[in-house]
Amino acid sequence: MDALNMDNALGEYLPVLIFLILSFVIGCLFVFVNFIAARHNPDPAKNSPYECGFDEFGDSRMKFDVRFYLVTLLFIIFDLEVVFLFPWAITFGSLGLFGYLSMMAFLGVLTIGFIYEWKKGALEWQ
Amino acid sequence: MYHAIVFLPLLGFFIAGLLSFVKNNPASDKVAQILTATLVSVAALYSIYAFTINIVDAKVVHIKLFDWIAVGSLVVSWAIYVDPVTRIMLVVITSVSALVHIYSIGYMSHDSSKPRFMAYLSLFTFTMLALVTADNFLQLFFGWEGVGLASYLLIGFWYKKPTANAASIKAFVVNRIGDFGLALGIFAIFYLFGSLDYQVVFSKAEALAAGTSNISDTINFFGYQFGSINLICFLLFIGAMGKSAQIFLHTWLPDAMEGPTPVSALIHAATMVTAGVFLVVRCSPMYDLAPDVLSFITLIGASTAIFAASVGLVQNDIKRVIAYSTCSQLGYMFFAVGVGAYGAAMFHLFTHAFFKALLFLGAGSVIHAVNDEQDIRKMGGLSTYIPLTHILMIIGTISLMGFPFTAGYYSKDAIIESAYLASSGFSSYAFIVGLLGVVMTSFYSWRLMFLTFNGKSRIDEDNLSKVHESPAIMLVPLIVLAIGALFSGYLFKNYFIGSSSELFWGHSIALHHADHHDIPFLIYYAPMLLGFIGFFLAWYMYLKNKQLPHDLAKLNGPLYNFLLNKWYFDEIYNFIFVKPARATGLFLWKQIDGYIIDGFGPDGISKLVLNLSLRAKKIQSGYIYHYAFAILIGVSIFITYFIYKGI
Amino acid sequence: MNIFLPILPEISIFISAIFLLLLGLFIKNIKLIINLAVVTLILAIVFVIYQPIGTAFNNSLVNDEFSKVIKILILLGSLASIIMYHSSRKDLNIDLYEFPILILLATIGMLVMASANDLIAIFIGLELQSLTLYVLASLNRNHLASSEAGLKYFLLGALSSGLLLFGLSYIYGFTGNTNLNLISTTVAPGNIGLIIGIVFVTSGLAFKVSAVPFHMWTPDVYEGAPTPVTAFFAMAPKVAAIAVAVRFLIVGFSDVAFEWQQIIIFLSIASMVFAAFAAIAQTNIKRLMAYSSIGHVGYALIGLACGTEQGISSIVIYLSIYLVMNIGVFSFILSMKYKGEHYENISDLSGLYKNHPYYSVIITVFMFSLAGIPPLAGFFGKFYIFIAAIESNLMLLAIIGILASVVGAFYYLRIIKVIYFDEEKHSFDGFNHKSLHLLIHPSAFLIILFCLYPLPLINIANYAANAFY
Repeated sequence: MDALNMDNALGEYLPVLIFLILSFVIGCLFVFVNFIAARHNPDPAKNSPYECGFDEFGDSRMKFDVRFYLVTLLFIIFDLEVVFLFPWAITFGSLGLFGYLSMMAFLGVLTIGFIYEWKKGALEWQ
Repeated sequence: MYHAIVFLPLLGFFIAGLLSFVKNNPASDKVAQILTATLVSVAALYSIYAFTINIVDAKVVHIKLFDWIAVGSLVVSWAIYVDPVTRIMLVVITSVSALVHIYSIGYMSHDSSKPRFMAYLSLFTFTMLALVTADNFLQLFFGWEGVGLASYLLIGFWYKKPTANAASIKAFVVNRIGDFGLALGIFAIFYLFGSLDYQVVFSKAEALAAGTSNISDTINFFGYQFGSINLICFLLFIGAMGKSAQIFLHTWLPDAMEGPTPVSALIHAATMVTAGVFLVVRCSPMYDLAPDVLSFITLIGASTAIFAASVGLVQNDIKRVIAYSTCSQLGYMFFAVGVGAYGAAMFHLFTHAFFKALLFLGAGSVIHAVNDEQDIRKMGGLSTYIPLTHILMIIGTISLMGFPFTAGYYSKDAIIESAYLASSGFSSYAFIVGLLGVVMTSFYSWRLMFLTFNGKSRIDEDNLSKVHESPAIMLVPLIVLAIGALFSGYLFKNYFIGSSSELFWGHSIALHHADHHDIPFLIYYAPMLLGFIGFFLAWYMYLKNKQLPHDLAKLNGPLYNFLLNKWYFDEIYNFIFVKPARATGLFLWKQIDGYIIDGFGPDGISKLVLNLSLRAKKIQSGYIYHYAFAILIGVSIFITYFIYKGI
Repeated sequence: MNIFLPILPEISIFISAIFLLLLGLFIKNIKLIINLAVVTLILAIVFVIYQPIGTAFNNSLVNDEFSKVIKILILLGSLASIIMYHSSRKDLNIDLYEFPILILLATIGMLVMASANDLIAIFIGLELQSLTLYVLASLNRNHLASSEAGLKYFLLGALSSGLLLFGLSYIYGFTGNTNLNLISTTVAPGNIGLIIGIVFVTSGLAFKVSAVPFHMWTPDVYEGAPTPVTAFFAMAPKVAAIAVAVRFLIVGFSDVAFEWQQIIIFLSIASMVFAAFAAIAQTNIKRLMAYSSIGHVGYALIGLACGTEQGISSIVIYLSIYLVMNIGVFSFILSMKYKGEHYENISDLSGLYKNHPYYSVIITVFMFSLAGIPPLAGFFGKFYIFIAAIESNLMLLAIIGILASVVGAFYYLRIIKVIYFDEEKHSFDGFNHKSLHLLIHPSAFLIILFCLYPLPLINIANYAANAFY
């Protein structure tokens, strides 16, 4: 475990570092461009919470609608499903029938869950 | 047959004991009464049969029932050992017990827990029989404690009466002192001889006295060297003193009169209190080797005889007078033993059982007649109302005073003569005291009779009209006892102390031959004469010149009070033992136990626990950040511990 | 399909749960769903009994003697909770068909925990169980205490899962393996990083079994959750979590036993002593049972601290008896109702003897057994634990255990005192419920008769402990 090996081990993370720096720079760039290029004409309607139901900079002890969270939770499940599907899709060729059936079972269970929430009325925004 | 004698009363006890759980059922009461009485009566008939056999053929019957305890060298069997001494005790115990059982059916007719009473009586009978049929000291001790227990239960039979409870506890505690001595004696026997069997112990004791034994002839007791046999005999006698209510340990007996009267007749006159005499007689081969202890016994016995008689002179409770009389007569038996006249002692034990039981049961009949009044100053003139009881009590009284040809006459004379003839320590003291005691005995007995039955009645009108003779079931036992009180002396004197005595006793007691023909004429008739003097004194003071007792009492106030208060024994004991013990007890209770032990022990700990538990409850605040904090603190402590400890 | 054979019970329960979930959407007959769930669990017990011993998924799940016995205990606990739920679902406002399904799902998690021989399998099993339990705790949504219980349990459970996962990653980092058997080959004393990993994992598990100082959620959640859920919490998850701790520490880290022993001893002493003291001041019987379960976990951990075969066998005996006692006590608590209203305070029991002498005797049996008074089963449970401790030279632990059980006896006996000697207060009609009779009488019977014929359970426990040695 000498210093050289340690350096090598860290060296493997160089692309990650570059990736992090790049994303930071690009993120900052977009904000910055928005700040310069966009027109500044704020009004109450514009400043009011958008799509998430409540003011993100106000008092945290306030009433909010729990249904926003419900939607988010349901969304996350299917988000994760997609995350699972990506590696599966990439290696699908070598997984064979067993891989196929496994994923189908997984999707089937998720579908049953979806049927459940649908029937329960969790998707309706009364 | 002997099995039946011993175990029939036990059977009666179990059945009556079970029946005592049935409350308020006349039928089961009746069954318990009749059954126990029958069983004990059967035992009594067997005993009488055994006794008559003894007259013909005094052989020893030794039945080993089973090994009771076998631990190392301590092997104790449960046995029925029957020799002449046992046979006498058997006949006394079972016959008096049977009569008392029968008598109790009448006497306890108004009581609410008859089966319990009968069960206790049968239990007592069984334990007493176990005591006398023992072939070893441990079984004897079992019986000894068993009769103590039965006595305690019976004295406190009316447990709702505080005085009865106090008396039963007193009897128990005082007996503990004696029993402690007995237990120590038994320990010493086992320590020295390695056995508890009578025969083994006695033969080893004789070998020891003869110098042909390797057993140490001294024993270290509390750092002092004592002669082995002397110490053992002394300790056993302490036990006997307690059980037989000898002076210093006598205080429980008068109080024991709180129990029902049949109990007094059976336990505190005829049987249990004579267990001490029995013990010494049983161990007579050993006591003969310990003359110093015999002198001590003489001293104690004679002192008890005169002390109890003197107290009896002024008592006013009918049962207490008889109780002190019993105490005094037991003193006679003991000094007879002390001067080596074991036969005479047993003879007096035998006759005394009859006339004293008769007197007690007669007193019970009187008490029954006058509606539970026991104070003789509140009686008088009862002879016309209960003539039969009167006659029967007169028979008892003349037998007690030693009227010629009654039972007491023979046995008491034999004792006094033995004391006269003996040359052992204190024998002349015993002789003089014995004679003096005869006057007193006669005086207090007749005082009791005159105050109760003669003169003008001092009962108020209401109660007087209710005075009635007792039922037949109570009188028949009295009549049987009266026959015994009259004739048992004449019939058996030859066997106990006379020409046939050697044959009769066999080897069961140590016999000493004294030539009774050397007795001067005056000495020979002295007890009888003194008895009459006592009678006339009583007649003069209580029938003729009734003012005299009061004047005498006034004139000799201190002496009168001294006697009335029983020589202040109770007060002295109270001062020396009871009060300091109570004070110590109070101190230990309040200060040591209550304050220190409880304070730091149960109370303190429970307070601490409660305190801790309230704190523990407070930790549970309900705030989630407190909970999370606790978790993180826990993890941190673990990690810190391992990092600092190092691996 | 041979690879599914070792996890047949789990799969069958899972399929049944999915099926029941759909069924419940279209059929409004909750009783049918409950019955089917019960059948599923009984079937699972049969599967477990006849399952061959072996491993699955590259040795990440094992079916050995220990896991089989533990699984049966877990399944019995789940079964009892469903029956309890059935008896009280209407009164407690939890008449939801999801309850048996959630129990089934939690059971799958616990069965995985019992078999888990791999760090990832442990975590998956644990999380599947925990997530379900969070939902169960807050099942009575309209009830403030129930919601609060669920939320508390969820937040603290998340924290503890984080600790556990952090510890697992430490262990993986220092050994390079996730399989416990492989880990054990690389474990060597003197590795502080590994020990820290063990500390974190043990802390996470201690939260699940509610050992002091990770117990704080227990009283609040036990009190707030609906009673059948509390009963479930007190029975199956405890058994499963202790089983995980046993397998994790014994299989994976027996070479550093001296180190983790110290943690377990601390947890054990803290749990026994704290529970004994804290329970005394309680007035709510469910809260009392929470402290009782904390204390009992402390005793069971003594067996783990021994680390010997005898210790493991005594744990199995203890957990079995504990399970039976809890079935009895919680059935009794559920019976404490009158006209649909449930009573939960100890004072509500006062004078019970006058109205229900028979049930008073039964609860007396349970309380005496919990307190560890001979000749009831609870005494023998403690007895074997203490014997194991003494034989492993853990004298101090045994003595503290005995002292704590003396203090602990107080609060059990207080209930008996209240029942027999206090003024009469309530008459309950809950004792007439047939399904509770199914639980109360057999458990009382087992507790009383254990002393007469303890051999079967002892044999089973020895059989289970055999798996590790």
